[in-house]
Amino acid sequence: MNATIEKEVVIKTESDIVVARRAVREGASALGFGLTDTTRIVTAASELARNIIKYAVEGTMVLHPLEDGTRTGIELTFVDHGPGIPDIAKAMKEGFSTSGGFGMGLPGAKRLMDEMDAQSAVGQGTTVTVRKWRRQ
Amino acid sequence: MSASSITVVKVRDVLLVAMPSDPDDSVITALQEQAMRSMDQHEAKALILDISAVETLDSFFARTISETAQMVSLMGGRTIIAGMRPAVAVTATQLGLPLKRVETALTVERALDMVSLGKRQGSAR
Amino acid sequence: MTVRAKPRRPSGSAQHNPGPKGDDLLQVLVENVRDYAIVLLDPDGKVLSWSPAAQRLKGWATDEIIGQSFARFYPEEDIQRGKPQNELKAAGQDGRFEDEGWRVRKDGTRFWANVVITALRDNNGKLRAFGKVTRDLSERKEAEDKIKKQAQEILEMATIPVVQVWEGIVLVPLIGTLDSARTQQLMERLLQHVTDSGSPVAVIDITGVPAIDTQTAQHLIETVSAVRLLGAEVVLTGVRPVIAQTLVHLGVDLSSVATRSSLAAGLRTAMEMLSLAIVPKADKP
Repeated sequence: MNATIEKEVVIKTESDIVVARRAVREGASALGFGLTDTTRIVTAASELARNIIKYAVEGTMVLHPLEDGTRTGIELTFVDHGPGIPDIAKAMKEGFSTSGGFGMGLPGAKRLMDEMDAQSAVGQGTTVTVRKWRRQ
Repeated sequence: MSASSITVVKVRDVLLVAMPSDPDDSVITALQEQAMRSMDQHEAKALILDISAVETLDSFFARTISETAQMVSLMGGRTIIAGMRPAVAVTATQLGLPLKRVETALTVERALDMVSLGKRQGSAR
Repeated sequence: MTVRAKPRRPSGSAQHNPGPKGDDLLQVLVENVRDYAIVLLDPDGKVLSWSPAAQRLKGWATDEIIGQSFARFYPEEDIQRGKPQNELKAAGQDGRFEDEGWRVRKDGTRFWANVVITALRDNNGKLRAFGKVTRDLSERKEAEDKIKKQAQEILEMATIPVVQVWEGIVLVPLIGTLDSARTQQLMERLLQHVTDSGSPVAVIDITGVPAIDTQTAQHLIETVSAVRLLGAEVVLTGVRPVIAQTLVHLGVDLSSVATRSSLAAGLRTAMEMLSLAIVPKADKP
């Protein structure tokens, strides 16, 4: 149904973060998200895409529309085959970052979205999935 | 070259920079470099960033602004961000972006008033 | 009804009975009920028989659907979640299963359905079939959703007015408790108004807020931070003694926010922030 919204973006260079942001903005607007929620989703995508550049060098973002009969939503999956995060649960908590700095990549994105799942294996890579549902 | 897409305009003793709607990281980095160079050249009193076109303010962008503001402050100037969009402000609050040493203004005009009147108003933190 | 020794067959016509008997009348009833789609499924969920109302509601002709799995009536995401099989299992265990949810027609369109699945067992307790009765409740659902939406709209309009009380000053009189959803709305509407009107001061009056807890205070602080990012200031008014006490006991720090006990005092503060003052007319006797 929403085949046109489905999208994949390769994240390799810093300018790909802008490409990812634009794809997410278009997708979220097409799914009927309001301006504030669209801004939240785009900002979360920006944080997660930058995580890939910073920690894994290269990865992809897949944008997927959600529909469960009563609600419409958006799902973004960020996959990389980088070094992985040893303690992903800790990384998702407030104020933790392996690169110092703000440490708000994962926790920040989590605050802006409704749901976040993250899996990581050292030496194999990281997959982070975030979802947001449209407010009725 | 994306670095050239940042223009720093000097109006009396104020430096004015208009940020594009969706700047990439190199533009944001260039902002810091050029702002510092201009501060040095012109001995400006303030740096005003017009962010009314900016649609996404993520932690990298915020950190760069905050760092720049701290540097400007060390050089005796102040930094004012003007015209933040409501959706961006809500997101920034939720994300908890710390904007140290950064003042805020509704519009560039008000930011200029703040500088000429030596008034402090609307601080981000 | 009498207990039958043999399971009833979908086709009720018996060879040696010329007049309609109970079973035949039942078949007539099944075929003529218009509002309920009645479907008989085998124990695996394949369609055995199909009433005219089922064809009308779901769109498949009898010969298209006989032998097909009843999972075809469910949306894709439910099939992936194994919902059809789970419902059959539940009906098999408990004798009956009832659900309300989205179902799919042949043409792919959805309707909101009430579904009852009943396990049909013979005298020995062996599961012979499932009876499935489906009713289209789309109209009711639509009406309910519409009312819900209207109620929500009324709530949004009625509870958070943003008033331009003076040039450069907007007022938000808060009434009732502040949950996250309402704070979101408040923030968005207030910020939009501040930006659109270019008002440097926002007065938030909490006289009508019955009680304040840590979370409400947190929501208020967030709103204040967001307003400041725009370049405007917030004055919090209507802080009654009991609320001031609670805030201190909760350890909530509102020291960075200008707070005033009355709305009048708050408005005066807002005026001062704009370098305005209200003075009596000079020519008054």
